Parts: sequence; C-alpha cells; structure tokens
Amino acid sequence: MTPPVFYELKSAVVGIAGLGGLGSNVAEALVRMKIGKLILVDFDRVEAGNLNRQKYFYDQIGRWKVDATIENLLRIWPEAQLEGHKVRLTPETIQSIFASADVIAECFDRADQKQMIVETVLSKMPDKVIVSVSGLAGWGASNEIVTRPINNRLILVGDGVSGMGPGIPLTAARVGVAAYHQANAIVEALMDLKHGQLSRGAR
Amino acid sequence: MSWTLKINGIPQTFEPSEQPAALADLLKHLQIDQAAVVAEVDGQIVPRADFEKTLLQDGQSIELIRFVGGG
Repeated sequence: MTPPVFYELKSAVVGIAGLGGLGSNVAEALVRMKIGKLILVDFDRVEAGNLNRQKYFYDQIGRWKVDATIENLLRIWPEAQLEGHKVRLTPETIQSIFASADVIAECFDRADQKQMIVETVLSKMPDKVIVSVSGLAGWGASNEIVTRPINNRLILVGDGVSGMGPGIPLTAARVGVAAYHQANAIVEALMDLKHGQLSRGAR
Repeated sequence: MSWTLKINGIPQTFEPSEQPAALADLLKHLQIDQAAVVAEVDGQIVPRADFEKTLLQDGQSIELIRFVGGG
C-alpha cells in the first residue's frame, strides 16, 4: 500500500534555485519521493571540479546543468514532471519563474545570492515558503548541521557559520548531509501546508 | 538614556554614545556584511536597499539571518 504522504506530495510543486551540490541532490531526493513537479533553474554548465559533490557524471562535463539534471532525473522516473530554465535568477525572474511553486529551495553557492532570494521571497512572495542553507563547508561535525524554522515562511538549514574558504573545501558527504536536511525540510513544509499546520515537529 | 534592542532574541543595551541611528549602523557595529544578511525589524522584512534609511528606536526587536557561502 502506498503511504498517504506520497499521495499528498503528488500535487506539490517545488522550485529549485541552483543545481550545484545542494540542488542536484535535493532534486534527486524529491523525484524519488515523486513530488508532483519540479521547476529547475541554473545558468551554468557542468565542470570537472563539480563532480566532487554534485550529482553529475564524467560524461556530462560541458553540458548545461539543467539539461544534465533533467536527463538524470528522467532515468530515475520517466514520468517525472520537470520544467527547466537556463537563466540567472534575479528578484524579478524569481517571482515569475516560481509563481506556481508551493515551496522554494535556495540552493545557491554565494552568500549574496542566498541573501537576494530569501529577501525576495519573504518581502515579495507572501504565499511561499523558502528553505535556505547557510553553513555546510568542511567535513565531519554532521550533528552541527541542523534544520531551524526562523518563521512560518523561512526554514534555515546548516551550521550557520562554516563558509567555504582557503583550506575549507566543500565535500560530498557534508554537502550531502545539508542537502538531505533541505529535502526533508521541504517535504515537512509541504505536508504542513497541506494540513494548515504551523508547528513542525517530528512525525 | 540607554536603549535596549532585542537582537535575535537576546536583549542588548546601547549607551547614548553607541546607539545606532539606522539599521546599517547597527550592522557596522556588529561587523556584519550587509550583502549577506536578511534583516527583520519588529517582524517586518527590511530590504537591503533600505538598511541606510531604516531608523531604529529603543525597544525594537531585530532578527538578523546571516548567510555564508557554499552549496
């Protein structure tokens, strides 16, 4: 028997802003849970250096991340509903491209871009929930990566302090911990929206 | 008279000589990069473009959501 959660997720729409270490992993998890539709946005191509943490393959180097992601997701589930956009997101395009999304995943790399999309969603898109990530660089310290609701429309994942920098790389395992926190928080937010709950406890 | 501002839930006292006029001054005082923070004053989001002209008052509650790079 299919658990009821999967029926509920079938009508959900999730926007994914950025298809790097976070977005490529979040998209895969959501497709495996058969989320209704994903809106995938990225302006970049796959590079060799991305393979250390992003869900691409060696033979996809040079391809648009949007195209490579859609190809990979359709291999997992050929009926997945996927919409791709090869654009750089701005406060204007965020509002138009994600107009039909229930929840938006902030999966950018740069801190100023994270700021830009969170500010845009909170100030201009009053019916949307955003799940953002801050603090995932380095390795180990898995349990310092946490999911925290900041308010009813912003859920923040990460340790809050570990930025990437000299000697502090992004690694597949720790980025993966954060990405799966993010995907799990998205499912929780979608279920809360369905049931009109504001509290987010374990269930 | 000293001010109390609640910053991320923690009350902080500011003597008259160090009271921040605007939100931008508070961020400078706290050494927070304006490009990487989302700010809420008394539950209202303040867009980054308005940090300089958002004046603060005693008793306000300020949430600062800071971002670091990596994804």
